[in-house]
Amino acid sequence: MVNLEDLKKEAKAVLEEGKVKYIIGYEKSANGLMPVPGFIKSPEEVEKLIWTPACVYNLTKFLVDEKRRKSREKKPDERPVGLVVKGCDSRALIVLLQEKFINRDDVFIIGVSCEETGVIDEKKFLKKLKGKKAEKIEFDEKDNFMVTTQEGKVKVAASEVLAERCLECKANSPLIYDVILGEKVKRSMDNPFQSLEKLESLSEEERWKFWKEQLSKCIRCYACRSVCPMCYCDECVADTINFAVTADTTAEEKAQKIKWLEKSPVKSENFVYHLVRAIHLAGRCIDCGECERVCPLDIPIRFLNKKLEKDAKELFDYEAGFDPEQASLVSSFKDEDPEDFIR
Amino acid sequence: MEKVLDKKSFPQWVTKLSSYKVYAPVQEDEAWNYEVITNPEKVNLDFPNTVLSPKKIIFPQREVYLEFSSSDEDGLELKEVLPEEEPSVIFGVRPCDARALALTDKVFSGDFEDIYYWKRRNQVALVGLACSVPPSPNCFCLSVDGSPFSTEGLDILMSDLDSKYFVEVFSKKGEQLINAAKTLFKPATEKDKKELEKNRTEAKKRISRQIQNIKKIPPVLKGMFDSPFWDEESMSCLRCGICTYLCPTCHCFDINDEVLSSSPLKGRRIRTWDNCQFPDFTMHSSGHNPRPDKASRLRQRIMHKFQYFVDRYKNYQCTGCGRCISRCPVGIDIIEVLDKVSSYEG
Repeated sequence: MVNLEDLKKEAKAVLEEGKVKYIIGYEKSANGLMPVPGFIKSPEEVEKLIWTPACVYNLTKFLVDEKRRKSREKKPDERPVGLVVKGCDSRALIVLLQEKFINRDDVFIIGVSCEETGVIDEKKFLKKLKGKKAEKIEFDEKDNFMVTTQEGKVKVAASEVLAERCLECKANSPLIYDVILGEKVKRSMDNPFQSLEKLESLSEEERWKFWKEQLSKCIRCYACRSVCPMCYCDECVADTINFAVTADTTAEEKAQKIKWLEKSPVKSENFVYHLVRAIHLAGRCIDCGECERVCPLDIPIRFLNKKLEKDAKELFDYEAGFDPEQASLVSSFKDEDPEDFIR
Repeated sequence: MEKVLDKKSFPQWVTKLSSYKVYAPVQEDEAWNYEVITNPEKVNLDFPNTVLSPKKIIFPQREVYLEFSSSDEDGLELKEVLPEEEPSVIFGVRPCDARALALTDKVFSGDFEDIYYWKRRNQVALVGLACSVPPSPNCFCLSVDGSPFSTEGLDILMSDLDSKYFVEVFSKKGEQLINAAKTLFKPATEKDKKELEKNRTEAKKRISRQIQNIKKIPPVLKGMFDSPFWDEESMSCLRCGICTYLCPTCHCFDINDEVLSSSPLKGRRIRTWDNCQFPDFTMHSSGHNPRPDKASRLRQRIMHKFQYFVDRYKNYQCTGCGRCISRCPVGIDIIEVLDKVSSYEG
């Protein structure tokens, strides 16, 4: 099991040695069970770090911020940032390295293994507690979480409250790291594409109806885009005007900018947004599930990514986030690539 | 007017309102939202906070201003599109959300009356439901001059008294709703009133979250525009639009022309919600963006609600519903931010 004290010790050591600028990890929130992303800048602050089954966030997203911030500084601090990553998060990191968005030297990776469980789905968890207020949740033995409520401690079977993506996990411990905490053990419960079975069994009409209803709910808050570590473009088709406009952009260039989608949150425009988002993640999404977690309208958008992940696997035997040296799916070609779907 | 209504008679009341478009909270999957009701038996007033407030009915996320097309004489033909005027009633409005509409009323009136807003607003009756139990763990209405049984902005307030509702009526619109089913309502007795008072005292105690020193916040904010505080506080912000779109008081909008066909020219001018957390909200056509980063956007959200709006309308532009706290993907908590503001020493 990951020992929190060891995590703090490692974090403290690199901060004291001045090896990292700061550390991005999980911190206790002032209110509630869910932690918040923490930015630890001094050795004293490492006491704030926590590691619990509620550490759901994929913190690699903050590397995108860090890169932007650094590019604006005149004399940037060239030291890496420390980053706490789970197995799934480490796959996101591998994709960012593969795409040369970040350099390996820019990040000091503190890996934490989920061992035989994973992280919780907050909604499932609250349902399971039936109104009781949880004060604390901890990893217990291999299949359980220990939950402290006002009425005492209860054991909860991890399989009942785990996030959906954890039930389909492909990497329960970090694949890339500078230090690692916890055991690299094999999990038994993984079945990579089980969640798709129900949708895949529906007819085309039924699926169309399903997505029409779901995507019509979208209010275009763009939280799914904002939380995704792979959504790092400076310019996004979803914005009416964007970062790529500078003082040097001519009026003609501005006038010729194609408007891909309207701001109206109506079915057609929502479809354009969500399909563009999904396609841009083909062969890149590592299924951290953050897009679906943050959706305020509970749209099951993870299915779109998951289906593309399955296609990549079945058609091209490609899996994202395992090898930073691998050529990316959309930029590589093999003679034996199937083409029977091209019509 | 004070009445009581047997809970069992509630569906009958809704049935009698057949000349109205009736909205009530409906659960779909895990989420609750206000939707049009066709079966009064299905109205369930035992619900947590809805994802969106009734703002989405009176100030919809998208509406058409006008339609344009090219006319014969090389000119443009414009056709104004106004909202349909339908008498409507929304049941289960939380007092905080009703107060939010009362605040938005101020914004859309004054020097310029926004007819799109008022055409809907004038047609809608708001039937509130007092919160005997806080509908969210992040409720903090008491800190921002509200209460779980505030009547501001409401036509009727219903309060749960076990087997019946205590019904208070504050307007003509409200009286009309009662008159549609007069026989169902009984006069409230002294005993009912006593019970109501007791419930209200209890309800207040159940709200656990509060802002410290709220009075200090507007003046302190005045000196914080250039503070590094905002960089610190916004470190974990993802730049999504959840906090503002879900806010019952946020009312910023954008106007765009949507071209359906370029030849012959045909299209419409639409208004949609806009969001101060998005990069294009303040983007100038020159490429300059006066709010270039998330720090300046978090500052704007807080300053607008707790300084600019207070200066202008003498109210906080926040009614303590807690949605922005509960739904923030990274747990940014407006109460915590404000508590740090009130103890800030530059």
